[in-house]
Amino acid sequence: MKKNIGYEFKEHLVHKQAKAEAAMLKEFSQGQYTMEAPLIKYNPYFVNDLAAVMLFRTEEEVAITIRVLGKTKEADFYHTFPKGKEHIIPIVGLYSDYENKIEVYPYQKYNQKVVHTIKTPEVAGAKLVESMDTTPEHMQDNVIFLCPAVNDLAIAVDYAGDVRLNFTVPMVWDVKRMPNGNILIGSERLMKMPYFVSGIYEMSPVGKIYKEYRVPRGYHHDQITLPNGDIVALNCDLENGTVEDQAVVIDKDTGHVKRTITFSNFIKPGSQKSGSWSDEDWFHCNAVWYDVNTNSLTFSGRHINAMVNIDFDTEKLNWIISDPEGWPEEYLPYMFKPIGEGDFDWQYEQHSNLITPLGDVMCFDNHHFGAQNPDKYLAANDSFSRGVKYRIDTDKMEIEQLWQYGKERGKDFFSPYICNVLYYNEGHYLTHSGGVAFDGEGNASEELGPFAQIDDPSVTLESITVETINDEEVLELKVNSNYYRANKFTLYSKDGNNLTLGTGQLLGSLGETPQMDYDIPAEDSGEILPDKHEARITDEVDMFTFESKFEKGQLVMLLLESDKETRRYFISTSKGKRGAMCTGTFLPDDDRDTRTVISKEGFDGDYQVKVIVDDKKYDTGITIRA
Amino acid sequence: MVINMIKELVKEEFNNDLAEGAVLVDFYSKTCGPCKMLAFILKDIDSKLGDKVKIIKVDFEENPDLIEKYNVEGYPTLIMFKDGKEVSRKSGLQQKPVIQQND
Repeated sequence: MKKNIGYEFKEHLVHKQAKAEAAMLKEFSQGQYTMEAPLIKYNPYFVNDLAAVMLFRTEEEVAITIRVLGKTKEADFYHTFPKGKEHIIPIVGLYSDYENKIEVYPYQKYNQKVVHTIKTPEVAGAKLVESMDTTPEHMQDNVIFLCPAVNDLAIAVDYAGDVRLNFTVPMVWDVKRMPNGNILIGSERLMKMPYFVSGIYEMSPVGKIYKEYRVPRGYHHDQITLPNGDIVALNCDLENGTVEDQAVVIDKDTGHVKRTITFSNFIKPGSQKSGSWSDEDWFHCNAVWYDVNTNSLTFSGRHINAMVNIDFDTEKLNWIISDPEGWPEEYLPYMFKPIGEGDFDWQYEQHSNLITPLGDVMCFDNHHFGAQNPDKYLAANDSFSRGVKYRIDTDKMEIEQLWQYGKERGKDFFSPYICNVLYYNEGHYLTHSGGVAFDGEGNASEELGPFAQIDDPSVTLESITVETINDEEVLELKVNSNYYRANKFTLYSKDGNNLTLGTGQLLGSLGETPQMDYDIPAEDSGEILPDKHEARITDEVDMFTFESKFEKGQLVMLLLESDKETRRYFISTSKGKRGAMCTGTFLPDDDRDTRTVISKEGFDGDYQVKVIVDDKKYDTGITIRA
Repeated sequence: MVINMIKELVKEEFNNDLAEGAVLVDFYSKTCGPCKMLAFILKDIDSKLGDKVKIIKVDFEENPDLIEKYNVEGYPTLIMFKDGKEVSRKSGLQQKPVIQQND
C-alpha cells in the first residue's frame, strides 16, 4: 500500500481560541465561582504565557479592581473593570517562573481585597534581558514591547528589566496600539519565504485575537491607520516579479483592499541602488507614515537610501530625502539641499520614518554602507547607526539636521538592518537599535543578525533601546538578541476593553498565489514522492503549506490537479542569501528545506497534490479541499 | 515558418550578436533550479516570437569575463539589449508576461 506524505490540518488561531473560550465559559457557567474562589485559566488564548483570565460572579453589580503585584511596588500593574455581576478579567504582566500574586477587590473597597496566586512556568524570553537602566518614575506602568527579528519571540520588559509578556507564537513586524486599546501586529502565518505573512492581527495583550486583516500577496514590515480607521499595509508587486514595493489601503470593516499603491509609478526601479539592492527587492519599503496635515504618505525605501513622500490622493511625488549623489536628473528637483551650521549626515538604508506634529521628519538611520558610491562604503567596524530628525522646507527645498542620537556610540550601536524611532514630544524620543551583532572577536558583524547567527555560533546579538529627553538618556534597555522594533505602552489599556469575548474574524483575502504559466514535461512515476524529501503538507482554512527538502539546483514544481484545471507553482531550490532579512524568525536551519505556501483563493473543488522533481512526476496522496 | 533564435554563447560572435536588434541574454547556471524552469519559459517565448528577438544563453560559471563586464550578480539574470544597449534587466525566475513586457 502506498504511504502518503505527512498531512496536518492546522486550525486558525481565531478558531482555536474560540473553542477554548467556549470551553472556558462553559466551565464558568457550570460552577459557583466567586471573587474569593474564582476560575483561573492560565494562558487561555495560547499566545502569551505570562497571562491568564480570571472569572467569577458577584451578587451586586460592581466594578472590579485588580492589581498584579510586582516584585516591587513600582512594578505593580492595575486596572479597574466596568460594573457587572459576571466578571471575566484578563490578567497580564505575570512574571516567569514565579508565584504571582493578584489582588482583587470591588472598586474602592480595598478592605474586601482577596489575593490569588498564579504560578507560572519559566518562559523562553525571560532570560534574554541583559540590563535595564531607568527609573520607575519615568517608566510608570509601561513596558517596552519588542517585536521579533530572529527566533526569539516578542517580549515586553518593565522598568526593572523583568519580562512581563512572552509570546509563544511568532507574530512579527511592527506593533502599534490602536485608539480602542487593542494592538496591531503581523500574523504568524507565513505566506512566502522569508518573512511575508498572511496579514495583521488586531488583538489584546492577553492574547485574544479579534481580527485578522488579510493582506493580498503577503504583509511585511509596517502598517499605519488612517484618520477614518482604514489601514495602509505594505505588500508586494508579485505580478511584476518584485517584492516590498507596493502598499494597499484596507477597509477597516470588511478588510477588503480599496486601493493599491505601486511604487514603480513614482520611482523608476534601479534609479538608486543601496549596498543591499537587488533587482527583485529594488525598493525594500520598511515603513509607511500618513501625515494628516499634508494628506501625504511617506515610504522608507531601504534599497534606494531614501524616504519618499507622495500625495495620498494623486500619488504624485512631493519630495525625496536622500543623498542626491547618483540619482537620475529627473529626481533632483524633489531633493533637498542641506543647510545649517550644525552637523549634517544623510541617512542610508534607513528604517521607520515618521513625521512629527511640527512637520519634521524622523527615521532610524541604519547608515549601512554609509554612502551612495560603492567606492566610499563603510565597513561595519567603522559604521554607526542613529535616530535622526530633519527639518525640511519644501518651498526652498532645504533640509537641516535638528537632532541625532547614536553616532557617538559608533559600532556599538550599529545595526545594519531593522530598528525604529518614536516621537513622544519635542526633545523626547525613543531610538531602538535592535540589530547589533558582533563576531567572536568583538568586530561588528558584516552580516545581518539572522544570517550571522546561523553561520557563526560565536556571534553575539544585541538589541539596545534608548529613550532620551533633551539629549539626556532616561532609559536604556539591552537584550541579548535582535529585535525588529520597540514600542512603549501599558499592558492594560486605559481606554479599551482589554478582553472582548466572541470568535475572531478573518477579513479580506490573501489574493491568488501567482502560478507558473508553463508546463514542465515530466514522466508520471506512479509513485509517492520519496521519503528522502521529508515532504509534508500543513493545511489551513484559506491556504496550505508544502514543506520538503530538495538539493540545490533541482527543478521542482508543485501541481494541483482537479477535474477542471491544473495549477502550477514553482518551488525554488536556489540557496542565495537576500540582502535584507528584517525578520529571520522563519529561516530554516537546513538549507535544503523549501517552504511553499499556496493561497486557496480562486480554488474550486478538490485538488490532488503532485510534485515534479526534475523530469519525474510524483503523487503525494494528499487532496486539498477548497 | 518560425525560426528558432535561442543559441548558446559563441564568444567570438557575441559582440556581433548584440550589435543589432533585440537580444535577450540569459545568464544561467546548470546547477540552478530556477534557471532550468526559465529555460522552458524562454523556449516557449522563442517559439512565439521567432526572429523578433534573439535569445543567447550564457553559462554563469564558464564566463567570468562577461559576468564582470555586465556586472551580473547572480543567476538567472535576463538582460535585454536593443542595438547593443542594455534596456532592461531582471534577476531571478520571471513569469512569461514579465519577460515579454521587456521585449
